[in-house]
Amino acid sequence: MDTLGSLLHGFAVALTPGNLLYVLLGSLIGTVIGVLPGLGPTASIALLLPATIGMDMVSALIFLAGIYYGAMYGGSTTSILVNIPGEAASVVTCLDGYQMARQGRAGPALGMSAFGSFIGGTIGVLAVMLISPFLAEAALKFGPPEMFALLFFAFTCIGGLTGKSRARGLLMACVGLLLGSVGTDDIHGVDRFVFGTLYLRDGIALVPLAMGLFGMGEILYNVERRESTGAVVGTPKDLLPTRKDWRDSRWPILRGSLVGFGIGILPGGMPAVASLLSYAVEKRVAKEPDRLGRGAIEGVAGPETANNAATAGGFVPLLTLGIPTNSVLALMLAALMLHGVTPGPLLLFKWPDVFWGVIASMYIGNVMLLVLNLPMIGLFVQLLKVPYSILSPLIIMFVLLGAYALNNSVTDVLATILFGLVGYLMKRYGLEPAPLVLAFVLGPMLENNLSKALIMARGAGLSFFFGRPISGTLLTMALVVLAFPLVKRCLAWRGKAAATA
Amino acid sequence: MRADRILGFGALLLALPVGLTSWGYGVGSPKSPGAGFWPFLIAASMAGLGAALALRPDRALHPRADGGSRWRSLGIALATLGIYVLVLEPLGYLLATFLLLVVQLKWVEARSWRTTVLTAGIAAAVSFAIFRVFLKVSLPVGILPLPRSW
Repeated sequence: MDTLGSLLHGFAVALTPGNLLYVLLGSLIGTVIGVLPGLGPTASIALLLPATIGMDMVSALIFLAGIYYGAMYGGSTTSILVNIPGEAASVVTCLDGYQMARQGRAGPALGMSAFGSFIGGTIGVLAVMLISPFLAEAALKFGPPEMFALLFFAFTCIGGLTGKSRARGLLMACVGLLLGSVGTDDIHGVDRFVFGTLYLRDGIALVPLAMGLFGMGEILYNVERRESTGAVVGTPKDLLPTRKDWRDSRWPILRGSLVGFGIGILPGGMPAVASLLSYAVEKRVAKEPDRLGRGAIEGVAGPETANNAATAGGFVPLLTLGIPTNSVLALMLAALMLHGVTPGPLLLFKWPDVFWGVIASMYIGNVMLLVLNLPMIGLFVQLLKVPYSILSPLIIMFVLLGAYALNNSVTDVLATILFGLVGYLMKRYGLEPAPLVLAFVLGPMLENNLSKALIMARGAGLSFFFGRPISGTLLTMALVVLAFPLVKRCLAWRGKAAATA
Repeated sequence: MRADRILGFGALLLALPVGLTSWGYGVGSPKSPGAGFWPFLIAASMAGLGAALALRPDRALHPRADGGSRWRSLGIALATLGIYVLVLEPLGYLLATFLLLVVQLKWVEARSWRTTVLTAGIAAAVSFAIFRVFLKVSLPVGILPLPRSW
């Protein structure tokens, strides 16, 4: 079937009344989650994962994807109106968005952010649709050495893209790998790090880990350190950007789409990184860079477009290679496996309904969000007025409820609380949970492929990996990523030495 | 900088028992890796990164931990969560969650009694209705005389 035919089939799947309802529900819940500070998309998807068990797999994925891109839309509202980002990808939107709101231009800021998100999301989905079939076809030729090399490359990118310190990021990733190795080993059947408990023999479950680190950890951190929230800058009336706003934003939107999609398909490519990079690009190309940070619409249009394009881009490696590039997509992977779908290059051919249904639902979701969000901004502003002191116990309740509902087990609740404590400590000491969760998911795949590749190599060692063109290229790329900071340090040191001479 | 050092030494301390335990599982050889091969590699990487952080901490990072001062609230929140795990099945979801919310709203968040009781009551009842009655998640009923068929 050609791409257009497949897409039409996808629309036929996504436009059934049931799936339309899930697109609507997912995008609405996602927007609310994005608007409310303290509950990011990762924790929310972890929370709602058990609720998707009863759904069929296409609906489940459509629903979860809706939450993800809905959260990206909603996150900007709080950034602009209250100067508090609803989720990490909207941090940079605070810089110019809030300044615009203070200058009485909250409406155009919110409007442009919604339009930018829509355009970025749509261009992203279009690119996903065009690239994925080729990538899946190529990935069919991957054996264990190639998969190992690809996963290893993904792993080396995690540390560099997710935090301020590369060593800290990689160390957190190692902790994630270690947690991922707990339980009965698949190949040898040996129990590892189970300490005689039955619960750990199946391995640590992803949902309590993600909900604890992201949801509970965030709440506990806020309990200890309550900051007064900014004042809501009224309910904006006129949301449509002016002709000049459009003129100023058209190139930032286009650049944001490209930057966002490019970052999104990279391992470790969080939407937050995409929006940050897009802001940096805008600052660099601006004729008057000083305007950015003082209420320039380019500072809202670029990053908001980029984070939605990155959200869409992340679906390329997930759906074609079975590799999640960030913690939200790691949970999507868990959702796929929960429904018996093996993510990887075969997904496109064995479960075309899942692939094309999700892609089509993303088009529909983007339109729905644009149509829904603009008239509903007043309602979201009201939502922001609910005090955090009431919201936070309610979020705790939902996190505990989600943990219990997974297996009807109190042990999962306990595990969520313990990981919550770990998440709180990590946040307090400036450690990123995202590399840990991502490595936790990638770890077992990495081990499995490494073991198979080593057995295939029959003692040939590194020459076996480097002798194969794809694995050799990927491993070389991984080594370049690893060596890059050292080279940068050497160059800086030489530069300094030359300056003092 | 100090936080990096502590983290580095912590990683080194953790890598040692992990490495020894992995060795016990059987590391095997590169030709035929054993069950301990992978965790041993992880332990070695952790030790390397830990040593790097301890010896060369990042000077650009904040030297002190970024924290607040509401220790009492945090202590109460954590203690209540611990007790919640113990009483969830014996008391049932509805009662245990109501009590958890009362403590969180009244003593952690310092809300009025009226707001506390109303919010806790409505939230516990509505979440129970949605998850137990509609989504058929078998939340524990506990000591309350509720129909088991719900």
